[in-house]
Amino acid sequence: MSLQTLKVLEAFLDNPVDQLSGAEVHQRCRIASGTLYPILLRLEAAGWFVSRWESIDPSSAGRPRRRLYRLTPTGLRRAGEVFASFNRGVLA
Amino acid sequence: MNSKRELNWVDGFAHCLIHRAARRAPEPLPERLEEEWLADFAERRGGLSRLRFAVGCCWATGVIAREQGVAALAATSSPLGNGYLVGDGGSPLFSRRAATFLLVAGLHAAVLYGLAIGLSSRFNKVSTGPLEAREIKSPPHRDLLPLPPPQVSRTRIEVPISEAMPRIESDPTDAVQGTRQEPQRPLPAPIPSVVNRVQGGPGSGFPSTDDFYPSLAIHMGEKGVATVRVCVDGQGRLNSEPTIMQSTGSSRLDEGALRLAKAGSGHYRATTEDGRPVNSCYPFRIRFDLRN
Repeated sequence: MSLQTLKVLEAFLDNPVDQLSGAEVHQRCRIASGTLYPILLRLEAAGWFVSRWESIDPSSAGRPRRRLYRLTPTGLRRAGEVFASFNRGVLA
Repeated sequence: MNSKRELNWVDGFAHCLIHRAARRAPEPLPERLEEEWLADFAERRGGLSRLRFAVGCCWATGVIAREQGVAALAATSSPLGNGYLVGDGGSPLFSRRAATFLLVAGLHAAVLYGLAIGLSSRFNKVSTGPLEAREIKSPPHRDLLPLPPPQVSRTRIEVPISEAMPRIESDPTDAVQGTRQEPQRPLPAPIPSVVNRVQGGPGSGFPSTDDFYPSLAIHMGEKGVATVRVCVDGQGRLNSEPTIMQSTGSSRLDEGALRLAKAGSGHYRATTEDGRPVNSCYPFRIRFDLRN
């Protein structure tokens, strides 16, 4: 797993119930858009993330809808395992 | 006035790049990516940042198209890497990384083989010459001067005897008979068993930070990340009071973090050892961040 993928997962693991847009993930982990969006799509295709459109009316909000990503229970478990394998014996 | 016109020009160019990049994405992604990227683009500040974002989208399209072209991503891939091993359907058998690795390994093998063949042929050339018998003379005897006797100084060394060390009483009959006892070797240390330990963390149903963000902290614009240490039993419940390991720098936010950690009792994932949930203590981070 690449360092960038780990950074993205870490951004979501800070608060697993949070729903983050690509812009928010970028703000947290400073990954360029050329790397970030393929990672988000890859994790979504693998079932670690689910995404949905922000529930706003773009015309009244004056901006386009954001796509929000959230960890699935599977993603949460698998990501926890990945980080646990790094932290084993250090933090526990 | 000029800078505003410049910004508009950059925005227009970036929009154009994003639009073209999204259109080049494989179906059914173009519409989704365009809307998603334009929404994220709107949150960028500064012309250079926006331009970089747009160029990144062009790059992302290339990566996404290549990945989707290599394999049916959703069905077979793992997000753990970019490598694919696809046998059927006309897709490449190995990923580029695997092919490069095989190529380098093959080159190494060829060089080693060449060296081995070359060396062995040279060795054969040397060893296949005509055999001749030669008498090997013994080296001349040299008279060596006797070494001076070593000077030995006797120093008494006191060796403390540990109480924990068992004393081994020698059998007096052995001493009489003058037999020599072999020193007892220590038993090898037992090999520690390997336990597959998976650390727990906040699980499903864990409360949101928004519900525990102190209103005064929101009012004062305070944000930060606290590291909280919790002790959790096998059912994901707290079995002691959580503590702050690393403060956010704000006592209000730290309090909120502790209240959140307590409220999450019963929603933690227990640490497992070989698949069995066990009691454990571990730290995790709580981020208080102001959005909008």
